[in-house]
This record gives sequence, C-alpha cells and structure tokens, in this order.
Amino acid sequence: MKSNLKTMTISLTVLTVLAGAALGIVNFFTADPIAEAQLKAKKEALAAVLPQFDNDPYEQCTTVEGLSVYPAASEGQAVGAAVESFSDNGFGGRVTILFGFDIAGRAKGYSVLSHSETPGLGANMQTWFDDEGTSHNVIGTSVPLKVKADGGEIDAMAGATISSRAFVEALNKARSVFEKFTAQQ
Amino acid sequence: MNALQVIVDGIVKRNPTFVLILGMCPTLGTTSSALTGMSMGLATMAVLICSNAAVSAIRNVVPDKVRIPVFITVIASFVTILQMVMQAWAPALYSSLGIFIPLIVVNCILLGRAEAFASRNSVLLSAADGIGIGAGFTLALTAIGLTREFLGTGAVFGAQIFDGRYGALLFILAPGAFIVLGLLIALFNYIKKR
Amino acid sequence: MLEYLAIIFSAILVNNIVFAQFLGICPFIGVSKNLDSAFGMGAAVTFVMAVATAVTWMLQHYILLPLGLGYVQTIAFILVIAVLVQMLEIIMKKSSPGLYAALGVFLPLITTNCAVLGVAIIVAQKNFEFFHSIVYAIATALGFTLALILFAGIRTRLALVDVPRPMRGVPIALISAGLLAMAFMGFSGM
Repeated sequence: MKSNLKTMTISLTVLTVLAGAALGIVNFFTADPIAEAQLKAKKEALAAVLPQFDNDPYEQCTTVEGLSVYPAASEGQAVGAAVESFSDNGFGGRVTILFGFDIAGRAKGYSVLSHSETPGLGANMQTWFDDEGTSHNVIGTSVPLKVKADGGEIDAMAGATISSRAFVEALNKARSVFEKFTAQQ
Repeated sequence: MNALQVIVDGIVKRNPTFVLILGMCPTLGTTSSALTGMSMGLATMAVLICSNAAVSAIRNVVPDKVRIPVFITVIASFVTILQMVMQAWAPALYSSLGIFIPLIVVNCILLGRAEAFASRNSVLLSAADGIGIGAGFTLALTAIGLTREFLGTGAVFGAQIFDGRYGALLFILAPGAFIVLGLLIALFNYIKKR
Repeated sequence: MLEYLAIIFSAILVNNIVFAQFLGICPFIGVSKNLDSAFGMGAAVTFVMAVATAVTWMLQHYILLPLGLGYVQTIAFILVIAVLVQMLEIIMKKSSPGLYAALGVFLPLITTNCAVLGVAIIVAQKNFEFFHSIVYAIATALGFTLALILFAGIRTRLALVDVPRPMRGVPIALISAGLLAMAFMGFSGM
C-alpha cells in the first residue's frame, strides 16, 4: 500500500490499539494464574524443606539480618523454620538456597532456588548434600560446617570445590540467622 | 505452490538452522538437553505460525515504509502473550528457558519469514510456512539437544543410556554447543551433496 | 570502585556475552570476516547498548513499574530500541558524517541483535541500580567487541586453510568459536 503520512499514522495507531487491547485481555486472564503459580512454587519448596506443619509459614515471613525467615508451627507449637539464604561466591555468581531447620536446629532439608553453576559439576548441589549416611550429607547436622579442602568434614562435589564452598557458606549463614531468630522468640 | 510442499520445504530445503543459519542464539543457548531444545523449538513455532498468519492477513493495508516496525510490533505482541501464558500454566518450563523466551522477538527467523514470505503470500500458505520452518527449527534444536545430552550425560530425554560419570561434560558446557552445531551443519552439508 | 571493577571483569571475561551467555551470535558469525568491520560493529554495539540500557532502565522504573505494566516489558523494550536505533542513525547522519560513514552500515543490523535487548532485560530482571546498569551494559558490549576482534583474527587465518568442503564457512567457524569458548572457560570461578 502507498505510504503517506495519513496511512502511516492510521495503520500504526490502529495496530498499537489492537496490540495493547490483546495484551490487556490476555493479562486479565493470566494475572491470577501467574501469581498462583509463583506462590505454589514457593509453598512447595517450603513444604519440602520443613518438618510437618499446619500454619502458613509464607504469611508469617519475617526478616532477620536481611534474610527471609519462614517460621513453621504445628498445633500452635513452633516446629522449626526455613531460611532463604545465599552466597555470592558460587562458580557462576550468586546461589540462592532455601534451608529448613527443625526446632532443635538440625538441618531438615534444602532446595536450591536459583544458581548459575556448571551443569554436571556445581549444579549437582541440588542433590549431592542430601544423601544420608555419606560424608557429604548435611541433613541432620547442627553445627557450622566446612568442606574437607578447608579442614572440615564435608566432602566437596568432585571438580566443584568452589560451588561446594558456596553451598556450605550459605548453609552456615542460614544457620546463624536461624539461631538468632529462635533466640528472639 | 501448495501448503504441503511449503511445509516440507521449510523442514528440509529451507531449514532455518542447517541451511539458512538463522536464530543461532537459542540454538546454542537452550540445547543442553533434548527436552529444553524441543520446548524452545515449539515455543518459537507457536509464535511463528501466529505472526506469519497475522502479517499475511494485514499485508495489503500496511504502508510500505512502516512495514518493519509493524512486523516487529506484531511479533512482539505474540511473544508477550506466549510469555504470560507460559508463566501461568508452565512456570517450570518458562524458568528453564529463561531469557530466551522474550528474546524470540529478535530471532531473525521471525522477521525474516514475515518479510520474505508472509508479506507476499496468502494466510493459509503463510501459516503453512510457519509450520514448516517451525518444525524444521524444532527438529534441529531437538537433534542438537539430543546429541549434547547423550554425549555429555549419557541420557536421552532424561532416560539414562550409559553411566553419566563417563559422559564428556564438555558437550553440555558452552564450547560443546558451538562444536556440536558446527559438526551437525557440516553433516547436513555432506548428506545434501551426496 | 572495587565493586565496579569486579562487574567489568566478570562481564568481559567470565560471563562473556557471546561465549558464556550465547547472545549476539548472528553478528558474531556474520560480521567477523575481517578486523575493520569487527571494530566498527563493536563500537556501534557499545554505543547503542549503553544508550538503550539507560533509556529502557528509565522506562522500566519510571513508567512500566509504577503503572503496573510490567507485563508489556518485552514489546515496550523492543520498540524503544528500534526507535532509538533509527534516531541515532538520523542524528549521526546530520551531525557527524564521519562517524556515520564508519558505523552507519551496522546500525540497522543492531535492532535485531539479541544482545542489546538481552542486556536490557537482564538489567531489569536483576534489578540493578542505574549506574550499575550502565557499567554492566558497557562492559558487556566491550566483551562482545573483544570476542568479535579475537574471532576476526582467527577467521582471517582460517581463510587460508584448506578445509574439507562440507566444513567450509560456518561449520569451521563455529568449531573455532567452540575452542575459543573453551579458552574463556578458564576465566570462570575467578
């Protein structure tokens, strides 16, 4: 079609209105499902790392030293809490991990929320440290840890000492925040 | 020119990855496993079919000079819709493909097909071109993902074939992406010559 | 100061946009046949990326987020970048013909360079502050330029080699890029 100022203005205006309307409509229908999906992912991670609970840890979230703490309770009794911790010393930068502790301060479980570690090496941290009965298990521990290369007790992932250090650093940070949180209660 | 022929051409003669060599960023960035490669291909195909059909439908009312901005707006609208739909109903997939979903907007395949095909052909043929080129892209990404996943971790679509510890890790890392793509294009050239 | 040095080092070498993040591959393969055009493209991308990141940052923080329009981010960013590139081309043509002669031919290619939109989206996703964003954008573009120049050097030599016929052109270029990516992996974890 011929281009002159009138046709160009009309076609661009009509297109913008149409595109805006289409996006608005789709947003109207997807906004709630998107919010729900994000909430569900968070709640599933909390359920996976915490002891059995019947309150809503997500609603009761507080902040201690800049980290989010999600307290869990069962029949009105505190049973533990989850701490969203991180380390900036991963192989590919920041690693964010959610750690769950029971009321005695023992690590109950963890879930890696975001990382940019090497696939096949550092990325194995998603399962590596949750392996009961081995020397690289952290579940059930209740004291600050170190990897073996630093004179500690935890076996690092093969070929990924830096990622392992970052994981342990995030865990220790979460543990100290958890202890401060329980002391406050 | 019939629709079926257009589809077949899109997969073989005009394969976007192996022949036209377009859309390299998602081709390298999302193929560390067969499943992510295939998902990326299907997502791109969905946008391509819609944008091709829409561009073809409005081809006679768009002034020549603003053609490109109009095409970009059409493509970007469909990509944004895809983003919202995926976030709502496939959040895990959305986060595993990451930034490459919004970046479908700047995938040269989409603007290229809008300009070279959809702006000159009927809606039906343009949609067929979208299916063909999209399928060609999906097959290529799946093949690359399959090769990298198998050599790197010993698995095919997540099913372990040999022990992962014997996998050549290089292939799921960045260098492996470039090398596997280079070798597969060479293989495609070799087969075509014969 | 040290913090910014870390960002620059990381964006140029550790998380190089081409070798580690797979963005901007099309111009990387397409414009790396000789050193001159590699320099030109690199300079043009650096300029556009810095300006585009500044503008999209303001768009995101002063218009889209306050109005609750976060969901139109993709379409808003690409339109802003397209208009910006067009405007830069017009301004450059009028005000500095020398610069236009050097960089002009690369400008239309930059709209569909996914590195520009990619950086704008990364900066928005990671919620960087304004100054941090600009430093990140410039450092990333320098990383792109470095990749382009290194690769152009390799390709001028590659042109003299007798490569098996099916491997000629793009395949051998991709494999060389893979080897270069391997070299860049040596920087990660630093």
